[in-house]
Amino acid sequence: MFAQSRRAEVQDQEPPASRLGRTLKVTGTVDMDGELYVQGTVSGRINAIRVILGTESHVEGDVVAQEVRVEGHFSGRIFALHVTVESSANVTGRIFHNTVSVAQGARIDGRMPWRPPSYFETLTQLPETRP
Amino acid sequence: MSSMFTRNDPQKPETKPAEAKVPETPAPTTDPVRRAQQAAAQPLTPPSQAAKGVSVISRALKITGQLESSEDIEILGEVEGDVRAATVRVGSGAKVRGTVTGDEVELAGSVEGKIEARKVVLTSTAHMSGDIIHQDVAIQSGAYVCGQLKPEYSKTGTNVQPLKVKAE
Repeated sequence: MFAQSRRAEVQDQEPPASRLGRTLKVTGTVDMDGELYVQGTVSGRINAIRVILGTESHVEGDVVAQEVRVEGHFSGRIFALHVTVESSANVTGRIFHNTVSVAQGARIDGRMPWRPPSYFETLTQLPETRP
Repeated sequence: MSSMFTRNDPQKPETKPAEAKVPETPAPTTDPVRRAQQAAAQPLTPPSQAAKGVSVISRALKITGQLESSEDIEILGEVEGDVRAATVRVGSGAKVRGTVTGDEVELAGSVEGKIEARKVVLTSTAHMSGDIIHQDVAIQSGAYVCGQLKPEYSKTGTNVQPLKVKAE
């Protein structure tokens, strides 16, 4: 019993937030079951629960998550219930959201369509097929 | 009552070590497993240090595609595709399908594909199926290796570049 509970604790501690460092370049799909912190360059698709695109990140493509915070350079589409765009962000493309907040100073070029929460539920099931 | 106390007094020191022994004995039995896991994980995950400059692909993360970095990459999750970095550490439980290129490659997980590096270290939990092109290789007992080991001494200094060219 003790051993099991301790192991569970250890496992809980072990998966911290993933981090894609400054010098890292990822081409392809990033699937994460948790929080992802991006500082580097990603071109492709990001699926996660919580995504933070750091100040020095350059992301191109689709981001599908529950919560997204943009601080860096982004071009593409964001599908998330809650989107926060920080003042250092530079966003080109579309932000599909349910709630969004944009800080003063952020550069946004594109549309920000509102969607009901149900839209995002179906999206997580079929992320590839949705526009 | 005093006799009770007198009886209890000598008994207590007897029971105490007995009680103390009981938790001690299961602790080492569970410990080796944990210690082995931790020992396997620790050289690969000093999290405070790793969190600073290194890219970490944690357990819950799966990447399909290419990974490239001029610094270190630590893989604890799953990668389908090529990995290229200065130092690549594939932690125990991690899976990589593709070519791992680097100056140093430390493997504790499993790689299906190829390793090209100046220095290759396979720890006891490593599972490597594919060729290893190296200048310096270390294999701990317990490591699974299926494939060829090819030494590549052509250029000693900046060696990742020429290997890249050969690969492509």
